[in-house]
Amino acid sequence: MCNALVGCLLMPHPAVGFVAFVWMAVLTTLWARIPTIVFMRVLFAEVTFLLVSVIGITMSIQLSPPSDALFAWSAVGMWVSVSAESFELALMTFARALGCATALNFLILTTPLVDIIELIRRIRIPDVLIEIMVLLYRSIFVLLDSLIRIATAQNARLGYHNMWSGFRSSAMLGSQLFLVAYRRSQRMRVALESRGLDGPICVVASRYTKDNRVWVLNIALTVSLCAAWFLL
Amino acid sequence: MRNRIVILLVGVLTLVLLESRPAYAMHVMEGFLPPLWALVWFAVAIPFWAFGLRKITRLVHEQPEMRMMLGLAGAFAFVLSALKIPSVTGSSSHPTGTGLGAILFGPAVMSVLGTLVLLFQALLMAHGGLTTLGANAVSMAIVGPLIAWSVWRLFHTRLPMWLVVFFATSLANLSTYVVTSLQLALAFPDAVGGFVASFAKFGTIFAVTQIPLAISEGILTVLIMNALQQNAQAELHTLGVVRGEN
Repeated sequence: MCNALVGCLLMPHPAVGFVAFVWMAVLTTLWARIPTIVFMRVLFAEVTFLLVSVIGITMSIQLSPPSDALFAWSAVGMWVSVSAESFELALMTFARALGCATALNFLILTTPLVDIIELIRRIRIPDVLIEIMVLLYRSIFVLLDSLIRIATAQNARLGYHNMWSGFRSSAMLGSQLFLVAYRRSQRMRVALESRGLDGPICVVASRYTKDNRVWVLNIALTVSLCAAWFLL
Repeated sequence: MRNRIVILLVGVLTLVLLESRPAYAMHVMEGFLPPLWALVWFAVAIPFWAFGLRKITRLVHEQPEMRMMLGLAGAFAFVLSALKIPSVTGSSSHPTGTGLGAILFGPAVMSVLGTLVLLFQALLMAHGGLTTLGANAVSMAIVGPLIAWSVWRLFHTRLPMWLVVFFATSLANLSTYVVTSLQLALAFPDAVGGFVASFAKFGTIFAVTQIPLAISEGILTVLIMNALQQNAQAELHTLGVVRGEN
């Protein structure tokens, strides 16, 4: 996955991005057996967003008629044009982002966060940060649970039936959530202190096994990306 | 006939734009920036991270219980960004929460905490990305909180609180959008008008959704701060947000 990410970034050619996209799509759906619907749904949201952003890159607006453009429209005294150069740049960006995004999706859909945190620990990030990350990850779900329950209760009482009451309800929700977070942290402190905590929080890491197939796949991926870059 | 198709296309595009923008807020997507610019923004962010990290290490060293507090604060920021807020345009959207975070915890802590939140957003919800983490951190975890905190610090003793909070958070939200436009414009200068034209272009694209959003976030944060003042006086006092009476 890292290969694809780095490969897409460093080799500026649309083909590299598309090759990486195909690789990652196949790996996610066939090898990791992520349901195709889940994969497509995540992808769809990203692609719409990407298309909108890329359109911004292709078009340029000016007051005089453009000299060398693929397309040009005029409206209310201004010219909107698409030049060959900017079109190429946009295609490039689209392919790169598509390749990178599917690579990231592969990581997201296959790897639990605990394993990612373990990986980060191995590259020697300060301990304080790791601890905060572990606590943060755990707390997200605790708070999310509170958030959903409060929001459901508010909804059941028509708390969001118009804009203004929506604002009021969101504000109540936000401030209550702050209190929940604060009190949780106090209780966790008490709980940990009463168990004698006075230093960093240590957690036993799970064991990992080596798998040679991963290396084979990695090499194949890198070679195909390089091939796409050299041949096209 | 051709005109009709054009009108239809424009309509569909606007809809897609308005619908997809707020959900993704101001995150620069994974792989969107060229490698050079991705690196540049990491380089810009590193001094702030180092400073914030030193501050956090000192805090944790002095008060070990700050660990839990920071973890929960990060989770609070994350969950807040998942909260749907009503927007003044009628649709609903998500707050960035950076302004509130900066007022409650200070910009140094927010620079690190905000980055962690961004990392989690990238890994859990595919918002933003790993290679664009630097750029996103500069716009959302560094510049936004700094502005909110400066406004708050300068005026919170002189003007009514709701006004200061409103301006601090809406300006933080707006600055996030200006910085992101700047980042995109630097990475993709316009073929015709260069950097300035490109900045104007990205600025206008974002302005459609972002200005009402900044106002909404301002209003919402004022309401949250009011509610906090009523319900959480003691807690705010411990954090050093309000001084005096208590």
